[in-house]
Amino acid sequence: MKKIRVLIAKPGLDGHDRGALVVAQALRDYGMEVIYTGLRQTPQQIVAAAIQEDVDAIGLSCLSGAHNELFPEIVSLLDQRQAGDIIVVGGGVIPWEDIPFLESKGIQKVFTPGTPTKDTAIFIEKAVFERDGIQKTEKEPPKKIDHIGIAVSSLEEALPFYVNQLHLKLEAIEEVPSEGVKVAFMKIGESRIELLEPMSEESPIASFIKKRGEGIHHIALADDRIEERLRELSANGVRLIHETPVKGAGGANIAFLHPKSAGGVLYELCEKDTKEEE
Amino acid sequence: MATDQTDFQKQFEEWKAFTEKLIAKYPEKKEVFKTSSGIDIERLGHPERVDQTYMDKLGLPGQYPYTRGIQPTMYRGRTWTMRQYAGFGSAEETNKRFRYLLDQGQTGLSVAFDLPTQIGYDSDDMMAKGEVGKVGVAIDSLDDMEALLRDIPLDKVSTSMTINAPASVLLAMYIVVAEKQGVSQQDISGTIQNDILKEYIARGTYIFPPKPSMRLITDIFAYCAEHVPRWNTISISGYHIREAGSTAAQELAFTIANGIAYVDAAIATGLKVDDFAPRLAFFFNGHNQFLEEVAKFRAARRIWSKIMKERYGAKKPKSLQLRFHTQVAGSTLTAQQPDNNIVRVTLQALAAVFGGTQSLHTNAKDEALALPTEDSARIALRTQQIIANESGVTDTVDPLGGSYYIEQLTDELEAYVFDYIQKIDDMGGAVSAVEQGYMQQEIHQASYVTQKKIESGEEVVVGMNKYKLDDEPKPELHRIDPELQRKQIEKLETLRQKRDESRASARLEELRSGAKGDQNLMPLIIDCVRDYCTVGEICGVLREEFGEYTGI
Repeated sequence: MKKIRVLIAKPGLDGHDRGALVVAQALRDYGMEVIYTGLRQTPQQIVAAAIQEDVDAIGLSCLSGAHNELFPEIVSLLDQRQAGDIIVVGGGVIPWEDIPFLESKGIQKVFTPGTPTKDTAIFIEKAVFERDGIQKTEKEPPKKIDHIGIAVSSLEEALPFYVNQLHLKLEAIEEVPSEGVKVAFMKIGESRIELLEPMSEESPIASFIKKRGEGIHHIALADDRIEERLRELSANGVRLIHETPVKGAGGANIAFLHPKSAGGVLYELCEKDTKEEE
Repeated sequence: MATDQTDFQKQFEEWKAFTEKLIAKYPEKKEVFKTSSGIDIERLGHPERVDQTYMDKLGLPGQYPYTRGIQPTMYRGRTWTMRQYAGFGSAEETNKRFRYLLDQGQTGLSVAFDLPTQIGYDSDDMMAKGEVGKVGVAIDSLDDMEALLRDIPLDKVSTSMTINAPASVLLAMYIVVAEKQGVSQQDISGTIQNDILKEYIARGTYIFPPKPSMRLITDIFAYCAEHVPRWNTISISGYHIREAGSTAAQELAFTIANGIAYVDAAIATGLKVDDFAPRLAFFFNGHNQFLEEVAKFRAARRIWSKIMKERYGAKKPKSLQLRFHTQVAGSTLTAQQPDNNIVRVTLQALAAVFGGTQSLHTNAKDEALALPTEDSARIALRTQQIIANESGVTDTVDPLGGSYYIEQLTDELEAYVFDYIQKIDDMGGAVSAVEQGYMQQEIHQASYVTQKKIESGEEVVVGMNKYKLDDEPKPELHRIDPELQRKQIEKLETLRQKRDESRASARLEELRSGAKGDQNLMPLIIDCVRDYCTVGEICGVLREEFGEYTGI
């Protein structure tokens, strides 16, 4: 598939290009083709470069406070030159109160200081795919087995086997009210074992144990594009328990697939904020 | 070396006697310094017996190699200059903020100019769109400069101006405003940044190519050596190199390599090293890694004094002393939970104080979001006032000197720097290394490594990649008058009507012919500003004669 092309541009007189250079490099590492304009570009120069280079998106960086004048001008010049389909995003020192104004002027997203560069890359990729009406053709699989969930009647009774016999380290015990369970996590290699104890008779874990006894309950797959994958699975006819992600243990976004579509195995997709991981 | 042990003891006793004499003339802040427990605070902590290694590496404050500081009494004699960088909007507004800061106990001014001024465009230039008055004050002509400095006594206040490519123009305006106040240029004091090499490397407000830029700089050196003796003619800046993402060692190495290039350029024009070297100043970044930062400042002094002595044969003590301003690291401020920035700033400022800085700017907590409000600017100033007045760290000279770890870091940073300098010498010096993009590449690589570490969580940024808040409160921010550009353009129109147009254009033509030859341009530029030629007109003439730098 054709690589996404991005123009990283510095409009105005601002000379701070650390952010622009870092984002340019990160987008390249993500697999995009990136052209960097260099400093002190007028809106006209940026638009001309974008059209000449036939880019999919423009990333604007400005730390001098001139964004309200310069960013919208670039969008309107693109429109005038029938290049309004180029996606424009921006970043820099942009006060929060200016963001709605910029968005109303056609800047699709403003990334403020502290944004992980990957978020920017994913946003641009998604916006370009949506615009072009294409599905991501390189299908990326889930990243790893995040954890294996085991249903137990009592954590207190189950834990000693793991901790004393297998010498696993207990990381945390947590209540997940939405699922009616209390869970214990133990790290093993790059994955975890999750023990689930029902907190009430209504808990799905309680009915699981009643029907099938204690034992392996589900396998959770770590995924960094959960919403996209759910849409894709649903479009392909895979039955889902959750059509959109819900909050699970540790604040992760999770969703369960229906075992009827997965050979009798209950799979969970789970997307963690990587920055929160220790 | 067969120097007798007793020689060092003797040198030490002489230093003590000299210091006592100095104190008799310039008393310290107190007669006796004591801790809360009544313990006497020694002026200088030191080993029981000073030996060769001690004297070579640390020495005594106020003596070569100046590792422990450039004065024998340091902050016991006088606290560093608290110099908050400020400027925004119009000259009138900035003048108000300056007078507010002076009332609040600030001891020196530091002017931030807007980008059009820094890049030599008038406010009505097409290139200035959106930028007028944004990151600093808009100065088009002498009129604006007079408004900026109204009611500020230029014989008493020292002023630092962050101006590089058009430094001659702004210095010329300052000289003429002083003249109008009745203050001779012999008596004004301050600093212009005037460091073009780091503009190519990291900061981006260059105008002309390296060669004519170096000429403008050495013209200033020569003019000031004769006429403006109390002016620091350059502030060789590592600050922006660090902000662009370099390591501490790179900050030091590239700054000192640039310093060498300026000294070489000045000597090449026939200046004597001891005539201009005493007016060279430095500007460093106060960053996060506390102990490495302390070591960095100490190493900087030692390295520079060695270079000046051994490489250039400088004789005057003032030529050997590296004096520096510190600003804490803007790039470490987070937009998230901005109050946390006050704590970061405190630690960074403290490192600069342990490092023996001569002046200090502490950042305001909201600078990752916008220019500071009056409230946040005040807290920033208070931060250094608290360090100076409450912490007690100023009561003894170089308190961390002699710590095994600090001395080891100081030594290792020095070795790093001399390696880099060798490499840059081999490339033909800093100007040629800049033209090849060498420093730019090194810095970019370092900054990308940092970014990756932050994103992976290996480097923790509190409140940003760890200990986050879901609902960030939205702070009040400083706004710039959106009408400012229009008002500034109107002022320019009025100026062009009221000034003597034929005089102004005659002055510009004199400057043009000067630029074609090799005479010192400073007097010609002073004549231009006196007849109200604008920053854009003066730089425009020089652009036509010198050409423009367009990056590599």
